[in-house]
Amino acid sequence: MSNGTATSNAGVEGPQGYLGGNDGFRGWFDTRDHKRIGMLFLCWTLGVFLLGALFAVIMKLRASSGLVDTPTYHKMLTQHGLLMVFFFVVPAIPSILGYFLLPLQLGAANLAVPRLSLCSLRIYAVGTLLFVMSIAVGAVSTGWTFMTPFALGGDGAFALLAVGLFFVALSWFMTGLNFIITVHYRRAEAMGFFDMPVLSWALYLTGYMLLAVGILFGIIVLYLASARTFGKGLFSTETDPLVWQNYFWFVTTPAAFFALLPAVGVISEVIAGISRKAVAGYRTLVGSMIALLAMSFVTWGVRLIGSGQDPATSFVFGALSILTVIPVALIVYSWLATLHRGSIACAAPTTFVVSFLLQAGIGAVMSLFLSSLAVGQYLANTLFVTAHSHYVMMGGVMTALLAGLHYWWPKLTGRRYHEGLGRFSAMLYTVGLNLAFFPQIIQGVRGVPRGVYELPAELAGLEIVSMTGVWILVTGIVVIASNLLGSLWDGARAVNNPWGATTLEWQAASPPPAENFATAPTVTGPYETVQ
Amino acid sequence: MDFGSLTGSLSGAVSRVGGITPPASAKLSSWFPQAASTHAENVDAPFFGIYVVAIFVVVLVVGLAVTYIQLFKRRDEDGRGAPAGSSSLLWQGLFVLGALVLGLFAFSAGFQGFLEQSVTPHGAYAVDVTARQWDWDFTYPNGYVADTLHVATGQPVKLNLQSEDVIHGLFIPELRVSQAILPDRGSEAWFEATVADTFDLRSNIYSGEGYTNMRSVVIAQSQAEFDAWLLAASDIFAGRTMAEVGELLYTAKGCKACHSLDGSRLVGPSFKDVYGNTFDTREGVQIVVDDAYIRESILTPNVSVIAGYEPVMTPYEGNISDKEIEAITAWLKTLSSFGGEESATAGDAAAVQEGN
Repeated sequence: MSNGTATSNAGVEGPQGYLGGNDGFRGWFDTRDHKRIGMLFLCWTLGVFLLGALFAVIMKLRASSGLVDTPTYHKMLTQHGLLMVFFFVVPAIPSILGYFLLPLQLGAANLAVPRLSLCSLRIYAVGTLLFVMSIAVGAVSTGWTFMTPFALGGDGAFALLAVGLFFVALSWFMTGLNFIITVHYRRAEAMGFFDMPVLSWALYLTGYMLLAVGILFGIIVLYLASARTFGKGLFSTETDPLVWQNYFWFVTTPAAFFALLPAVGVISEVIAGISRKAVAGYRTLVGSMIALLAMSFVTWGVRLIGSGQDPATSFVFGALSILTVIPVALIVYSWLATLHRGSIACAAPTTFVVSFLLQAGIGAVMSLFLSSLAVGQYLANTLFVTAHSHYVMMGGVMTALLAGLHYWWPKLTGRRYHEGLGRFSAMLYTVGLNLAFFPQIIQGVRGVPRGVYELPAELAGLEIVSMTGVWILVTGIVVIASNLLGSLWDGARAVNNPWGATTLEWQAASPPPAENFATAPTVTGPYETVQ
Repeated sequence: MDFGSLTGSLSGAVSRVGGITPPASAKLSSWFPQAASTHAENVDAPFFGIYVVAIFVVVLVVGLAVTYIQLFKRRDEDGRGAPAGSSSLLWQGLFVLGALVLGLFAFSAGFQGFLEQSVTPHGAYAVDVTARQWDWDFTYPNGYVADTLHVATGQPVKLNLQSEDVIHGLFIPELRVSQAILPDRGSEAWFEATVADTFDLRSNIYSGEGYTNMRSVVIAQSQAEFDAWLLAASDIFAGRTMAEVGELLYTAKGCKACHSLDGSRLVGPSFKDVYGNTFDTREGVQIVVDDAYIRESILTPNVSVIAGYEPVMTPYEGNISDKEIEAITAWLKTLSSFGGEESATAGDAAAVQEGN
């Protein structure tokens, strides 16, 4: 049977591992340990998420409270979008779970370039600080997609914002590079590419995406800032306004909408873990993820349906994007087949997996509407699209992150959270999220454009439902956070392998020591039990 | 078109499955605003078709997952899942095939309508639309500019879209019209209203502070009401003297092409110093240009033509009102040094003819 259920740390008071040591503040500030960096990323992105969520709640209350006037509303909408997409959704899973788990899953002591890990964290932090400074100095209200020529005018500390975004893009780039090098050079000796767990594959592929997207996004943001400052260049008023939108969505479609790629890795891993089974159709699943990565770079034009793109181009992209259903169907098949005849634990991650399937499923079928040209043209600039991005980014990526955090929490912290509370909070979160965002789908179909300050009076009922959903969602997130964080104080000790899972990270202690593995882990094929 | 027939057969197949579609769309139709143009069925029908498919897919996937989780719940602490067999090619194939059919159905369902939206029918009534931060102008073919869009039901209307500053979006939910307007580029949209009513028209692309209130209305009315409205709204007599109106009509009615104002000879005689002057006609009859002669020369111009000119002018009978003729007459008086009704001297007449 798998090791560890009754071993290790018997005499020690609390979880030590990488969390302990007498190096105090400097030990964390200057750390090269991938686990500490992952945990620091967790804290930092949590802060970003809270700020973005605060903006969202204030905006949602605009009608009833009069808290914000129209200009402030548009500023907040812009900052909310930028924060959540570029500072949270894109880096969240790779930075938190990726940094922590990739070396562990590969049986390595650390990422290949530890200095680069620290550099990525610091640059991300600097980027965030610059961004927050730009809000304090003068928040821009260009909209988070920076549509030219509108984004070339107006007030606000745009240059500061652009440098902040450049830094965060640089941080993606470094993370991606580090993951790729690590997978190539730090796999345990006996581990071939097709012996890697699915999450490692997902992070490896995401690495290429972050590498490409990071450098491109950094560059186009600086170009935009220069067009705004000097009135010249690629994105100035002298060029076609669709040039910017093509560059922007070429970069943002893989980064934000296909942030589902690492989410697929997380969910696959969690499903295999809770079912105590091997991932079904492993190679097909990996192939499907490669196909998703490829599709993410050729479907940006779908975002431009209804933006003045000529009909023939919309036709090509719409037809092309339909091909995405092939890898998605294979991935869903693999998940269902893994659950089939498993020995499924009734645990918090299980509930989060169902929650993910519901929201990511709704998000995926919503893109069918947007790719169906006549329907897409009508819905393209309505609240339907707002709902779609929230179903994909929050319902999909954020839920996968929560599923992963609950699944790996014992490994991350060496503590166990309250199981019943975990399941309850997952349900609260799911109900709240759907109540909050489903009404927006109907509002969009009713013909409410996105980003408008005032909603039509006849849709007030839907807005009340949505607002109720927001409060339930907020409650759910508060319960989730207090359950997880509370476990740090009074959670029971976690065993090394609570799920009976077969990937290498569960062979390490919980929490793992600084060098991860006391003895070299036993490598088998992917998801094969150690004999 | 292949896609069209595919759409038809697929949506037919969907609606045959247990008769799901009719009750579903009946209930869902409240999702959309009133259907008031010929585009509506091209948007609403595919939407409901995809909706049925989408519900099916989500319920199937989540339902199977929840069922498996209940069915294969861990019974004892040491339970393990079944060993992974080789993955079933049959099921993988079925999943891919099913997904592809659904995907193609979704895509093809909206294709026909998109083609129709993209191609403006011949002979559509053209209105120029100008968008700017943050209002709308609508220019009718007669040059009249309004801040609301009036249209006739049953008549295809083509909108030539222009933006003066940033990107805007023309959005008329009831008419299912949504089209981005790019500065320096222009774009086009068209619709045919089927219901006489007033509809919201607004921008759906963020353009700054006034974005939410960058709105106007579309007023769809019967052809007769529309014509009457345009006539009344574009009444050029309002606030102008008769002579000023006459000057406008000189351009609007096309007189300009053949009649100069400086005495130079074009296809027809110049309007300078014509009123009150005396001429010989081609038949050798001497006439004085008075109110009656001008009226006759506009309505039936080729009956009495001044010598030296060909009888080639288009009669305006039925295309001009009495009041407009009066306006032109009043204006011609201001161009003439003869004035009044007095007959002119022979010398003056000769001078005019020499000038011609």
